[in-house]
Amino acid sequence: MVRRIVLAVLVVGALALLTISFRSPTSGALHDVQGYGATALRPFQVAAERVARPFRDVYGYFSGLASAKSENAKLRTELRDVRRTANANLAAAQRAGELEKLLRFEQGTSYPKDYRNVNTTVTSYPSGPFAQEVTIAAGSSSGIRVNTPIVTADGLVGHVTNVTPDTAQVMLLTDADSSVAARDVSHGVAGLIRHGQGSTLILDRVSKALQVKAGDIIVTQGTVDRRYPDLYPYGIPIGSVLSVGTSDIASYLTVQVTPFAQLDSLDAVAALISTKHR
Amino acid sequence: MNGVDGVKVAVLLFVAAILQVSIFTQVHVLGGVPDLLLVTLVAVSLLRGAIVGAVGGFFAGLLVDTATLGTLGLTSLVLTIAGYWIGRYGETTGRDRGHAPFTSVAVVTVLYSFGLLLVHFVLGERAPAGAIVRGLGPAILMNLIVTAPVYALARRLLRSRSRSDYATEVQLLG
Repeated sequence: MVRRIVLAVLVVGALALLTISFRSPTSGALHDVQGYGATALRPFQVAAERVARPFRDVYGYFSGLASAKSENAKLRTELRDVRRTANANLAAAQRAGELEKLLRFEQGTSYPKDYRNVNTTVTSYPSGPFAQEVTIAAGSSSGIRVNTPIVTADGLVGHVTNVTPDTAQVMLLTDADSSVAARDVSHGVAGLIRHGQGSTLILDRVSKALQVKAGDIIVTQGTVDRRYPDLYPYGIPIGSVLSVGTSDIASYLTVQVTPFAQLDSLDAVAALISTKHR
Repeated sequence: MNGVDGVKVAVLLFVAAILQVSIFTQVHVLGGVPDLLLVTLVAVSLLRGAIVGAVGGFFAGLLVDTATLGTLGLTSLVLTIAGYWIGRYGETTGRDRGHAPFTSVAVVTVLYSFGLLLVHFVLGERAPAGAIVRGLGPAILMNLIVTAPVYALARRLLRSRSRSDYATEVQLLG
């Protein structure tokens, strides 16, 4: 009898928490209490992550050795191409700056100039196929807000969906609910980055009449219309096009994108805090 | 169960919860992720019964939901029922049986996965049944691999129970 009463009390308690938390996931008294709890747990999570890091590094080192030689040759070729493009881009950027001055061109926040980084570590990882979210060890006390973009040195990771004073929840690009306005910088084609199979992404809503090629770089589109500001500034690298496919019955191209950021083994990330007041 | 045992159970589940959210969720082997917390809860429930299992499941779930900033109560609800159910099994037919931890872990892994799927579905959130089914085999395998060391550790920490902790009543059907 006692067992059943205990079970009933706990189940009712869990359902009550679930109801309150589900109705108000990012604000309210329960959210504040959760924030204090998350702050208290953060040191333990950071400690566990630090203890595990050497083991992860050793694993990464040996798994990297297997493909090091072929990757080195590929990267050398890539570096040569990137150097050539960078030189061309430098001249074009200077010219663009002069033209913007002449036109008194007004623009919103630009990446990375108008942003400061809050570097932090990932303390928890996606626990299953239900949601692709991670928790980071920095929150509103560091200037992070809901919708703050999160990046790594390689590219875009996602955006903040829930924040407490010392931790924040980040929705990854691979989450089913994630959708990012993106642009193919090589061909000027715009589309939406959504989750694809496994750890890949899809550039959706690209008309079959447009051209996209394998190897094209995809970046964030940024705000196109001031009335509808985008979460991300223009130019954060997202990934490169892996393959482009089409079928007779599909309305759009099937553009598979490999993300630059290693979304399945995130370690350190940076939150982009705008320094420009809108 | 005395106070010292309670503290031991709390510490065991706390450490398992922290390790689970910070480390084990990143360990992908053959498409499966070992659930250290679930295995620890099964071990504790088998050794200490339904009440400890249910209470342990509730607070372990609360820790996970707090650490990941998830919906509070979601993991608690499923782990509470899992802990209670395995605790009852330990108090009755599973008592003193060598295969009980392995059987319990295999069954609970399936029920826990589908329990979470059901709660997500009821809440109107994403409930990818296909992904759950595909990952179930490797998940059971990974959980079974960690069962032996976790159960041995839990049994070492939580010494044998007194006679009074076992079920003293049997309900006859029919």
